[in-house]
Amino acid sequence: MVFSLNKKALTNAIVVSLITIALVFYGSRKLQNFDPALIAYLFGTVFAFFGVVYRYSVWLQRPPTRMYFRRSLELIYNRKFFSHLVFFIKDFILNIGFQKFIYPRGRSRWIGHFLMAFGCTLAFAITFPLTFGWIHFTMNPATSIDPESIRLYEAHFFGFKIFEFELGSFIAFTVFHALNWSSWMVIIGVLIFMRRRLTQPGLIATQSFEGDLLPLVLLLAISITGLGLTYSYEFMKGFAYDFMAVTHAITVIMFLIWIPFGKFFHIIQRPAQLGAHIYKREGIKRGMAVCPHTGKEFATQMHIDDLKVVTKELGFDFTLEDGTSHLDLSPEGKRSRLAMAHLKARLENGGKLFG
Amino acid sequence: MPVTNYKTNQEFFVDMQRCIGCKACEMACAECETNGHESMIHVNYIDRAVTIQTTVQVCMHCDDPACANVCPADAISKDEFGVVHTANTARCIGCSNCVMACPFGVPKKNEAYDLMMKCNMCYDRTSAGKKPMCATVCPTQALYYGTREEMAMMRPNSSPVNNFIFGNEKVSTKVNIMMPKGATELRVD
Amino acid sequence: MAKLPVSEEKLIEQFGPHLNYPPREGYAGRDEPDREVKTHCCFCGMQCGMKLLVKDNRVVGFEPWMEFPYNQGRLCPKGVERYLQNNHPDRLMHPLQREEGVGFKQVSWDASMEKTVSEIKRIQEKYGNDAFAMLSGVSLSNEKSYLIGKFARVALKTANLDYNGRLCMVSAGAGNKKAFGLDRISNTFEDLERAEVILISGANVSETFPTLTHWIWRARDYGAKLIVVDPRMIPLARTADLHLPIRPGTDSALYGAMLKYLADHDMLDHDFIDNHTSGFQETLDAVKDYTLEWAEEVTGIEKAKIELASQWWGKASTSFLLHARGIEHHSKGVDNVVGCINLVLATGRIGKPYCGYGTITGQGNGQGGREHGHKCDQLPGNRDITNPEHRKYISGVWGIDEKDMPGKGLTAWELIEAIHRGEVKGLISICFNPLVSLPNNNYVREAFEKLEFYACIDFFMCETAHHADIVFPGSLHEEEEGTVTSAEGRVIRIRKAVDCPGEARPDTSIILELARRLGQGDKFNYETSEDIFNELRVASKGGTADYFGITYKKIDDNMGIFWPCPTLDHPGTKRLWEDKKYCTPDGKAHFNAAPYREPGEVTDKEYPVVMTTGRVVSQYLSGTQTRRIGKLVDSFPEPKIEIHPQLAQQFGIRQDEMVRVSTRRGSADFPANIVETIRTDTIFLPYHWPGKKSANQFTPGTLDPVSKIPEFKVCACKLEALGVFATPSIAPKNVARN
Repeated sequence: MVFSLNKKALTNAIVVSLITIALVFYGSRKLQNFDPALIAYLFGTVFAFFGVVYRYSVWLQRPPTRMYFRRSLELIYNRKFFSHLVFFIKDFILNIGFQKFIYPRGRSRWIGHFLMAFGCTLAFAITFPLTFGWIHFTMNPATSIDPESIRLYEAHFFGFKIFEFELGSFIAFTVFHALNWSSWMVIIGVLIFMRRRLTQPGLIATQSFEGDLLPLVLLLAISITGLGLTYSYEFMKGFAYDFMAVTHAITVIMFLIWIPFGKFFHIIQRPAQLGAHIYKREGIKRGMAVCPHTGKEFATQMHIDDLKVVTKELGFDFTLEDGTSHLDLSPEGKRSRLAMAHLKARLENGGKLFG
Repeated sequence: MPVTNYKTNQEFFVDMQRCIGCKACEMACAECETNGHESMIHVNYIDRAVTIQTTVQVCMHCDDPACANVCPADAISKDEFGVVHTANTARCIGCSNCVMACPFGVPKKNEAYDLMMKCNMCYDRTSAGKKPMCATVCPTQALYYGTREEMAMMRPNSSPVNNFIFGNEKVSTKVNIMMPKGATELRVD
Repeated sequence: MAKLPVSEEKLIEQFGPHLNYPPREGYAGRDEPDREVKTHCCFCGMQCGMKLLVKDNRVVGFEPWMEFPYNQGRLCPKGVERYLQNNHPDRLMHPLQREEGVGFKQVSWDASMEKTVSEIKRIQEKYGNDAFAMLSGVSLSNEKSYLIGKFARVALKTANLDYNGRLCMVSAGAGNKKAFGLDRISNTFEDLERAEVILISGANVSETFPTLTHWIWRARDYGAKLIVVDPRMIPLARTADLHLPIRPGTDSALYGAMLKYLADHDMLDHDFIDNHTSGFQETLDAVKDYTLEWAEEVTGIEKAKIELASQWWGKASTSFLLHARGIEHHSKGVDNVVGCINLVLATGRIGKPYCGYGTITGQGNGQGGREHGHKCDQLPGNRDITNPEHRKYISGVWGIDEKDMPGKGLTAWELIEAIHRGEVKGLISICFNPLVSLPNNNYVREAFEKLEFYACIDFFMCETAHHADIVFPGSLHEEEEGTVTSAEGRVIRIRKAVDCPGEARPDTSIILELARRLGQGDKFNYETSEDIFNELRVASKGGTADYFGITYKKIDDNMGIFWPCPTLDHPGTKRLWEDKKYCTPDGKAHFNAAPYREPGEVTDKEYPVVMTTGRVVSQYLSGTQTRRIGKLVDSFPEPKIEIHPQLAQQFGIRQDEMVRVSTRRGSADFPANIVETIRTDTIFLPYHWPGKKSANQFTPGTLDPVSKIPEFKVCACKLEALGVFATPSIAPKNVARN
């Protein structure tokens, strides 16, 4: 396939990247709160944003996705918007927050995935603002002067003070080690998944190294080196700190740059699942399609109608001679009609079914 | 995909008129390692009130799979052997586009998993040089997996057909359906 | 004392049937089993080869056994799911003793044995030896079948031993003995391949012997014409060249008319009839009035179809005739069987390549199990217990005085009647679930309630075991070594894959222990199953079912040996009668007159509809095993009556409406499945379920005068639409997921 640049996507990506840079500039109070040591991370992150937006935009232009996107936009202007919004929020918490749908696939699978997802999300939530210079911590000037006072730390967001806490307090411990907690979660999750991928024959037969194992290796490397940074200066007097720092930076940046292309793009894609749920919900309200063969409801009529449009756009035309479509049939109906056509063809040949 | 012993000279042949609806294939399919005790093959009555006729349907592994085309999440892929794989679990958003678009009625949506699952020709077995579970156990050989030559010898009066006409659409597949000798396509309308 | 100790519901709650499903990702170790055990399916007579995967003394899955010649890896759904009877939560692990009001309590082996032996002694001392009876079954290996025959006669010293083969293929056995003097299918199924005409009568092959379909389809690939005789359009009949939808209970009329047609149109093999058979003229005389018109009137099959079938059969140069319970489960089962054989003999197409005849044996060891003496009138090697020479030979093998050998006992159904009459007071059973499988099962239940003592050996708590005083936990198919004989007459090896779990013991060891405690230990000295087999070989030597030349090693080396195999250097006999030397006294094949008689129960004004029974593909016999395997139950959760739309309209019955079926023996309600694939005057009900879902609460069980098989296939009933609809089968409650 010849790679050709998608102009619409390119525009979207450039705009988002520029906005990000602008926000970094102003969010860090014209770079005064920006930590120059994080410059490589910043470039990685901006590139990831660029890539994600580019790919997302390309993705949205594909006929099936565009159809879903269009339907989603329609719903925003729908009378039932609020009913869908309530559903959306509930669904978001259950399916994106807790990944409810993975639980039936296997308990350990859910635990592993939840730990990885939660760990990663927490890490993103901390590192992005830090990298952008949106968050920074300062010592409360008043307490820092007086050596007897309890030292207070202040957290700032976009340059505004958000809250303060005592040094050495539980909050301080939690906040400063939050990335460590996320690392541990990711490590446990990765190990659970690695075990599955290395022992289950079904997975072994169908997985690929770059698509399924490498992402796990990368997450493991990021988490271990990240933890290594803390333990190096806390317990090992800085032993191998530079090595850890460089490896951590490289793996994180690799991870960031890879988001738009590999397995991790599913993180960006996953919320579309909620769209599919709402689409179905709305479709049920509008009415079900009845299979002309089985006489039973099998999908929403909106779905079938939309699919007829989408398949046509994709170059498939299932229109039958009588003007109806093969897609009007339920899966069972399609299988039955195929078998009937086969029997007819067999019988027309002198009734010979065998040989 | 890892290194495989996939035998490219072996093909899948279906003749649903030989099907007796016993569901051995359905039970055996669940024993395939890739689908975690879910069965991916379909056996159903055509219209039980008037006939005992059943049909059996595996994934036909289309050359240009409608399921993969209509997938909004790029979750379905075809490999170098022409095997169309089940939905990538990370990507599939459970929208059922593939379920409704497949002209053969093959993909299944597992509601609890919010995931589409479909036949991948027993990839754990075929990639190890074995025959798929369903075609191995099928007591009537309505499902057969082997070479074209073996088939020609066993059923000299039938021809394997892999072109299907659904109205205006012609679909070509990797899997063959056995038709009267000389037939080149099966018209479904 | 054999009434239920607590309610049926409580027993079911405790002992099942619960549904076993494999864990979602399969049993651990399935991908890296400790060993793959080449053995056979535990279910029907096809005895398909398969490999069980074993990890840590558990069966964790199966793998097709591609090399076994009969099925080459092919299996039916029961075969695929068969491994799930292992690791089952319902598995009996301890000896149990009945306790009034409580159910069953665990007891020690010693206590359960002691109780059983003392009851045997008490009953036999008080009422005589024959008052203690034994019932056995032919899902047991040859070794166990033989052992039980010896145990009952030598240790229990009772004449009253019979087996569930009585409900299976005794009609075929009796018919074959009359005609050929030997009871085995004449050919292997490979001979189907090039048969020009295949006539299948009363055999729902595609549901009861699915893997046999392959051989029939192969024949059709070569151009064979298939004729199917069945009241229903069974899956095999849909694509058949000719389907004869016969009225249940009229089979012999059809064969009679066909024989007359062959004779009238001179489609006979005169040379064969004159030189190698006897009784032809009498047999033909018996059907001289059986015109096609008459046959149409009686059987309900259009005469043009009967004529066409006769012509095809008459003109064929090779052919194969197969039948099963559909014609055998009748009060004239033997007549139906000899009626079929007459057609085969009249055309001389037997004992030649692609010319075959046989019954399709139903149970796993239906063939071997009916040869080695756990039948009331039989001794090993298919010998006759009333024949002085046979008695003498076997007494010698067993080391007993011929005078101590009991005589002919009562058949299974007659035993139930004898319990009602108070002549039989005690019973021990193994591998038999009469409460589901015998006809008129309310009458059967009353019999069990009258017993003074009943002990049951089983691996699951079958419905009959609910009435037991002592339940011994026995072994599953995969827990003991042995041999079975498939429907083809192929003696094959059953291999032990795992040990019995918990305190459960191999069936053999239970029988041996009982023999020892009954004071006959010296006659039951066996270290291994092979020792028993070697004694069986000697015992069968010189009998018609001669196994003497078969050894475990020979079976292993050849993937099975076909009996008769009289000497160690004999290769076994794949095709019988090539020498045209039949085992009858005159050495000829016998025609037997089979004039038409009415079935035991006919329809009348009060009971105007014919009911017939049969099986479904996902269940096996009384369902003790298959009603416990989740996916098998899911594919056919409960019995429904199949009824034609015309008949349904007549009674105002709608699809899925509950229908009250009433007979002279009771009534119960079933959902209706309205289908055009059944005769307009007949309803069908599958028989795998107990109690109110059972088909055998209705069946009359009129006995065949020769084989003593009860009539299962014809019953008069009336129908009543109840106006309520069956709730769609929801997921069963009793699910046990591992």
